[in-house]
Amino acid sequence: MTARPAPLPRPLGPFNWRGVWALYRRDIVRFLRFAGESLAGPVMSSLMFLAVFELSIGGVEMLPGVPLGAFIAPGLVVFSMAHSAYENAAVPMLYDKMEGMIGDILSAPLRPGEIVLAYTLSGASNGLLSGVSVLLLMALFVDLAVPHPLVALAFGLCGAVLFALAGLIVGVWADRWDGYSAAQTFVVLPLGLLSGAFFTLDSLPEAARLAVQFNPTYYVVNGLRYGLVGAAEGSLWFGAALLVGLILALGALAWRMIATGYKIKS
Amino acid sequence: MSGAMEKRPLPGRPPAPRILGPVNGLGLWTLYVKEVRRFLNVYTQTLLAPMIVSLLFLAIFALALGGLRRQVGGIDYIHFLAPGLIMMTMMQNAFANTSSSIVIAKVQGNIVDVLMPPLSAAELTCGIAGGGLTRGVMVGLASGLAMWVFVPLRPHAPLLIVYYAVNASLMLALLGMAGGIWAEKFDHIAAVTNFVITPFSFLSGTFYSIERLPPGWQLAAHFNPFFYLIDGFRYGFIGRADSSLWLGALVVLGVNASLWLLVHRMFASGYRLKA
Repeated sequence: MTARPAPLPRPLGPFNWRGVWALYRRDIVRFLRFAGESLAGPVMSSLMFLAVFELSIGGVEMLPGVPLGAFIAPGLVVFSMAHSAYENAAVPMLYDKMEGMIGDILSAPLRPGEIVLAYTLSGASNGLLSGVSVLLLMALFVDLAVPHPLVALAFGLCGAVLFALAGLIVGVWADRWDGYSAAQTFVVLPLGLLSGAFFTLDSLPEAARLAVQFNPTYYVVNGLRYGLVGAAEGSLWFGAALLVGLILALGALAWRMIATGYKIKS
Repeated sequence: MSGAMEKRPLPGRPPAPRILGPVNGLGLWTLYVKEVRRFLNVYTQTLLAPMIVSLLFLAIFALALGGLRRQVGGIDYIHFLAPGLIMMTMMQNAFANTSSSIVIAKVQGNIVDVLMPPLSAAELTCGIAGGGLTRGVMVGLASGLAMWVFVPLRPHAPLLIVYYAVNASLMLALLGMAGGIWAEKFDHIAAVTNFVITPFSFLSGTFYSIERLPPGWQLAAHFNPFFYLIDGFRYGFIGRADSSLWLGALVVLGVNASLWLLVHRMFASGYRLKA
């Protein structure tokens, strides 16, 4: 009887593509299963905002050559995208923690960086899906020229990844749903709504103008507006650099949290 | 002696069914307190979040292109908007409270704990609607106080404010109950919220005077009970209304009475509640 060679560990290489893909796919499938519900809400509320603004203000030019509808459409896209990216990174992480399924992920051969990448990218993809749905709907009512599609895509991607990372961090940090919804109410909603989505910087009082310039979402809205409508306030490069810097910082924080096992390993 | 085996009368009276009287006061109170504690337990989500959202709306509309300078019918836009936002917040929260309570109880199966006790259909309707009414009024009070810091809201007709606040919360609480009983899954009630309650609470004059609508839509607004709620409540603050107050007050009362009867009927017949 010849002894069979002992099974060898599967070589994973420098990056576990298959593991990241499996984790990524899980959250995308989960999102799509409830697509009717998860897309209907943001799409409807964006449409409401558009209608309410048209009816209550309507018929004015926000920036030279940019009517109200075209001005707020990019902001509405960013708002629903940011909200959805946050939610779809935070909820899976919090849910996995509370149901104890996080053990399955921590015991799989995934490095901390790979876990962060999979959660962030699935949240960001779901955010982009919401953003694109809102954008397509807006395009029915608002004239969008889309002069710079690549700029729009780049800023959209940055915004989605930024809010997905924020969601992941909140998901790791929160112990219960209370923490998640508190972060949503006190951080994500104000950042999303007071972002220059609905007003120009010039129309603001001095203090408010300064506050808006500290809001990273403002730069996402501005970049997306440049891509979709062709008009922007201030420099795009500064916004892009700031967003990339923030993504790197939050990414490092998320990586550190997962690597040290903060609130996920006892 | 056989006397030890004999049945001896128990000391005191034998147990008898408890006499509840025409109204089961204790049961009704217990149900009401359960409904109120349910939302107070998560007050960040049920009181603070709506308050913050209404403040954010106020900020956006005040800041959006000279919102501070704009006027509606001779009144500063911000004074026009604030009561509308308070009303919208009350309506959405009163609806959310009763609809979520019933749908969650149905999906989890603990609705039997509400149906089994000796509570009549009228008592069930009052207890649960009372919870939604309380949430609506509390949320309205919270967002009103928060707005008052930024916008000096002066009550013009306090009794009308109370009348419309109570009736609006009650109307949406009853609608939430009807929706919750009708819904079989969370999807159903989410669809009602997204496609009925949100659009109606947004588009019924919260943000603009209906004079801005095309004539056909102005007429349609007069068939929308939410419009009378917002219009009457706003009159209580600014002393100006788009419609007749008496008509509005009667429409609101009539709608609430019919909704009460509908929900009562649903509980009495066990529609989608009892197999």
